[in-house]
Amino acid sequence: MHLLLIEDDAEAARFLAKGLRESGYVVDIAADGREGLFRASEGSYDLIIADRQLPHFDGLSIVAMLRRNGKHTPVLILSALGSVDDRIEGLRAGGDDYLTKPFAFGELLARIEALLRRGNLPEVTTRIRVADLELDLLGRKVSRAGRPIDVTSKEFQLLEFLARRAGQVVTRTMLLEAVWDLHFDPQTNVIDVHISRLRSAVDKGFDRPLLHTVRGAGYVLRDGG
Amino acid sequence: MSSARLALVYSALVMLITAALLITVYLVTRSALEREIAAVIRAEVDDLGDDLRLGGVGRVAATLRLRADSWGRTGAVFLLADQAFRPVAGNLSAWPRDIEVAPSTMVEFEIAALERGSPVLHPVEARIERLSNGYWLLVGADISERQAVLRRFGLATLWGTGLTALSVWLLGAAYARRTARRVREYANTCQTIMQGDLTQRLRTDGARDEFDALALAVNAMLERIEEQNTTLRTAFDSIAHDLRTPLYRLRVRLEEAQLRAGASHETLQTEAQELIAPALEDLDRLQRTLTTLLAIARAEAQGVTTHHDQVDLAELVAGLVELYAPGMRGAGLEITLETPEHAVLTGNRQLLAQLVTNLLENALKYVPTGGRVRVRVEESVGSVALSVADNGPGIAAADREAALRPFVRVGDAAANASGSGLGLSLAAAVARLHRAQLTLGDAAPGLIVRCVFPTAARRDVPNGIAQVC
Repeated sequence: MHLLLIEDDAEAARFLAKGLRESGYVVDIAADGREGLFRASEGSYDLIIADRQLPHFDGLSIVAMLRRNGKHTPVLILSALGSVDDRIEGLRAGGDDYLTKPFAFGELLARIEALLRRGNLPEVTTRIRVADLELDLLGRKVSRAGRPIDVTSKEFQLLEFLARRAGQVVTRTMLLEAVWDLHFDPQTNVIDVHISRLRSAVDKGFDRPLLHTVRGAGYVLRDGG
Repeated sequence: MSSARLALVYSALVMLITAALLITVYLVTRSALEREIAAVIRAEVDDLGDDLRLGGVGRVAATLRLRADSWGRTGAVFLLADQAFRPVAGNLSAWPRDIEVAPSTMVEFEIAALERGSPVLHPVEARIERLSNGYWLLVGADISERQAVLRRFGLATLWGTGLTALSVWLLGAAYARRTARRVREYANTCQTIMQGDLTQRLRTDGARDEFDALALAVNAMLERIEEQNTTLRTAFDSIAHDLRTPLYRLRVRLEEAQLRAGASHETLQTEAQELIAPALEDLDRLQRTLTTLLAIARAEAQGVTTHHDQVDLAELVAGLVELYAPGMRGAGLEITLETPEHAVLTGNRQLLAQLVTNLLENALKYVPTGGRVRVRVEESVGSVALSVADNGPGIAAADREAALRPFVRVGDAAANASGSGLGLSLAAAVARLHRAQLTLGDAAPGLIVRCVFPTAARRDVPNGIAQVC
């Protein structure tokens, strides 16, 4: 997977690129808005990570110009402007996701994964299977190994979000945004309690756990350790 | 009253005063002139009376004959007539017609005097006396000059009054226009400034008048406000950039160290993890504090960019209570929710969610195990009220106001370092942004936080549905 990182803070760019390369991505760095726009229009990248405040062109202008030229490469915007309104503005401008600095590297990785694999599963689907776990999206029912599992509607939403991204790390922030529509981090780890309830519903009484906690990052729904 | 109308009223007033003054002068002058003529006539009559006493009618007639040419010299008129008003002596050819004849009275009539061959009418004022032998004596004076003077005086009075009023009105209107223009100009400038352009200043034109004094004072004030504004903005920009950037780098470095430690010796790995994990947690807390502080500042600055949508507070609160319920139960707290089906108000959903979240987090933090948290949304005509009550330690009445200020921790919270001391302060700021007042009260025992949001007057109030989560 080929990523373009547009970031004017050289040190941050170096660290990020290093981390991303260690995670198996090929990364190009552009140090300002003009170079970034040039490379983004030229090359065939799978994903663009753009800082919002850049010399020459800011991140939002780059997204806008790319979209106008018919380029639909997913763009993840990084920004030190972190209010809800800034986020909404960023997403309206055509950004596919928005991450406020400072962020955990795990958060960035999880969001990159999510953006890259977004196209894999068709949105219109009625059933999702992860190992022997089955979600009936129409009947809002869950069963594992043919045995029905009782979940609340919020738990179903949680499980659906995880199941649609089976094998990918999903962060707490992503869950808060997607399931509760909260674009800020509460101080306590409220999500953990919900996950542990969900885990006891899904994994209790089965040999192989499906819902795993990824230390320092989030959760993943997958078959095996 | 507008200044133009004021000018009109003033000019009318000035006209009245001027007219009164000039009319008084006119009347005084006229009566003085009349008195003077009357005095001259009386003196003449007295002289002729002396003649009569000393030499009878004959002497009077002789005197009058001597003064036959007096009309041409002084405009004096004399006539001595017998009982039947037939002229005996004097410079009148006949007793004047159409005058009331009574002894010792003043009369006015006109005589025709030949001037350059043609008769000209002259007004005359005269005194009539009856002499002891029954003869009539008429002594008078030409008053055409006096009347001409008074007429001119009257005309001058009329013109003077009119011109004075006109010029006062013109001056007043011009001054009023200038005043109005300046005030309007100031109002426009203030409007622009209120719309956010603090660089605007009121114009001074160097006249050193009251307007310049006002403009200078206002400009000095604006200078000060702009200065403070810049200081504040710079401070917030510094917080945003000078703090976020190093935090971000620190985080990246720590994570790199964590990765590297993971690759090396096993004991080193555990040690490093033990060191790094709390550091990352500290960073998270710092980051949250900073974010909250900026959110407060934004809310306090009455965020112009804040979107105001229709938010269903009942649905929002129900969702958040549902989010927190498992955690609350885990901490040994009972949470109940009482809410109508819908309670719609205009606001910013994320900020309102943050308000509710902060209240729930506070309860989670400070209410001891076994406690109870009651969340309630009530809709009434024109308002939606949210309250979160617990039976925890509460906040002493004296501390309640302080508890809403940033970084203030009161009572037991002071000992609990896990709070940032910003939760209630942010909640209060968000409430203010929604034209609501956040109040802390005594739930006897415990704390009740109440927030009443004004809404547009609306439809029927649905019945409250109580539910226990």
